[in-house]
Amino acid sequence: MRINTAPMNPAAVPQPVEDVQGDDRWMSQHHRFLAEIKEKEPEVVFIGDSLIRNLSLTQLWKQMFEPLHCLNLGIGGDQTQNVLWRVLNGEMEEISPKVIVLLVGTNNYDHTAEQVTDGILEIVRVIQSKQPQAQVIVTGIPPRGEKPNPLREKIMKINESLAEECENLQNVTFLNVDSSLFVNQSTGLISATDMYDYLHLTQAGYQKLSEPLLEEIQNLLHEFIKVENTSIITESVEGELPNDK
Amino acid sequence: MVLSQRQKEELNKAIADYLSSNGYISSLAEFQKEAGLPSELDKKYAGLLEKKWTSVIRLQKKVMDLEAKLSEAEKEFNAGGPTRDKRSPTEWIPRPPERYSLSGHRSPVTRIVFHPVFSVMVSASEDATIRIWDYETGDYERTLKGHTDSVQDVAFDHTGKLLASCSADMTIKIWDFQGFECLKTLYGHDHNVSSVSFMPSGDFIVSSSRDKTIKMWEVGTGYCVKTFTGHREWVRMVKVYHDGSLLASCSNDQTVRVWVVATKECKLELREHEHVVECIAWAPELAHPAIAEAAGNDVKRGGRTGPFLASGSRDKTIKIWDISTGLCLFTLVGHDNWVRGLLFHPGGKFLLSASDDKTLRIWDIKNRRNHKTLEAHQHFCTSLDMHKTSPYVISGSVDQTVKVWECR
Repeated sequence: MRINTAPMNPAAVPQPVEDVQGDDRWMSQHHRFLAEIKEKEPEVVFIGDSLIRNLSLTQLWKQMFEPLHCLNLGIGGDQTQNVLWRVLNGEMEEISPKVIVLLVGTNNYDHTAEQVTDGILEIVRVIQSKQPQAQVIVTGIPPRGEKPNPLREKIMKINESLAEECENLQNVTFLNVDSSLFVNQSTGLISATDMYDYLHLTQAGYQKLSEPLLEEIQNLLHEFIKVENTSIITESVEGELPNDK
Repeated sequence: MVLSQRQKEELNKAIADYLSSNGYISSLAEFQKEAGLPSELDKKYAGLLEKKWTSVIRLQKKVMDLEAKLSEAEKEFNAGGPTRDKRSPTEWIPRPPERYSLSGHRSPVTRIVFHPVFSVMVSASEDATIRIWDYETGDYERTLKGHTDSVQDVAFDHTGKLLASCSADMTIKIWDFQGFECLKTLYGHDHNVSSVSFMPSGDFIVSSSRDKTIKMWEVGTGYCVKTFTGHREWVRMVKVYHDGSLLASCSNDQTVRVWVVATKECKLELREHEHVVECIAWAPELAHPAIAEAAGNDVKRGGRTGPFLASGSRDKTIKIWDISTGLCLFTLVGHDNWVRGLLFHPGGKFLLSASDDKTLRIWDIKNRRNHKTLEAHQHFCTSLDMHKTSPYVISGSVDQTVKVWECR
């Protein structure tokens, strides 16, 4: 168990997002989540930043995740301290999901790898105290930036420590997002087909992320949904036979 | 099979690419020589042979799928059921496609019920409104507003003059269905009210709530006259036996309970489901022979006498219970997701169900078999109802639509 030697770690001190733009959207989203939680009885809860939020806009979400009774509590731009504030302020009440998926940390630009890691682990601790029955999946942060850059190094470090720390935690699984999933091994580049702005995922990018994630969720739920296969096959056949007339 | 000159050239080039990419270099050289190909390989043909090879199998599968669908459609068209004038009310079942798909609700539809007399149906929604529709014409008629949160259930009395509704706003409302006025608002539950039903006499209403209780209310005064306690969690649904002597309820505590109305006593606790029990339905007497036969007993020789109850659960199964013994007679397996709505066919031969697997299913009770599946909605199916005398089934969904299905 890591001992929190820096009690003033800003990535692990709960903090709502400051409404710098003046439209109060962050708080609106938090309030909407509180209302949704009251009515929905999700079996799987996703919480984190835009990488979580945007998943719910994909076809994949509709086809693969929705049938599992998922609820998405992602807010774009959130850092670890913001998610920490949300889980402490109502977003883990009144529900009892079987699986909780956490993905956050890529927006903590001002914090060191150690601080971000501790921030994420603090969120996990709070989630587990409020939802002791749930299995928590901590998703590794995907690499970012078209070319190799210091942020990728930092992310790699965070993921390595998370993997290590999660080993020792009960009911917590670390889902490694291997950088080779998105980074071309020979050129070191990330393709816009996977990340249109070299940070956020495209449909194709989410496909790559979702496969291992969905497998892990279904393992934990002990249930497997029927895959709607035919339409996928039709599309791929169309793509593969450009010369057919 | 004869290939055209162009096709032959393409095949040769694809073979050459295959040989080259798999390292069959000497075969490649020989082949290029014999086929008169240039030694330069055309990039356009990279991987083409493998792609064609696998696509044949995929296309074959696709063809098979389509053929199966076509034969299904043909069967539906030719022999799916008797023609309109020959159909018999005891046999008719809903057939695709839907006759109407009605949009208007701004949130998931939670419940849908037929009016017992007029050609209208009523839908409840998480958008806090109740909508009234003409199911014969598909016209929207009006909206009842008053609840301040998700409406969970609606029910008519046997005359159709009164409508009861209940909501996550913790209240029950009684509406005059002639003037469309809210007559009374009943306060007393401490949480979301999930289900509401009239007693057969029409003088009382029963309701179930997330506050773990079932309450009985006097329609005339609006007072709560009885509270049934025992469930350990959210009570999802309560249904009255046709003679008014018993109540059945189901809950997040994974049990189904049967209560004696007169004494408030919990007569039975049925535990066999492995997840939240979402819905229940009492079997009408017409269904008793089919249930008894399915359970392997001849009803005439004094075997199973009922009453019988069906329950649907998030464990994806439907169970049929004998209330006289408290035994589960059999289990219907087939839905791929939560079972949300259950209904006995008025003819007694079928059971209908709605599920989060987006289908409606019709079960042949006697043979304990999934008789027919309708791919009904774009999202979870939450509720269904069947008209007692007219050939219609209606369904509601999280996709915010209400659909009308004609039976044949």
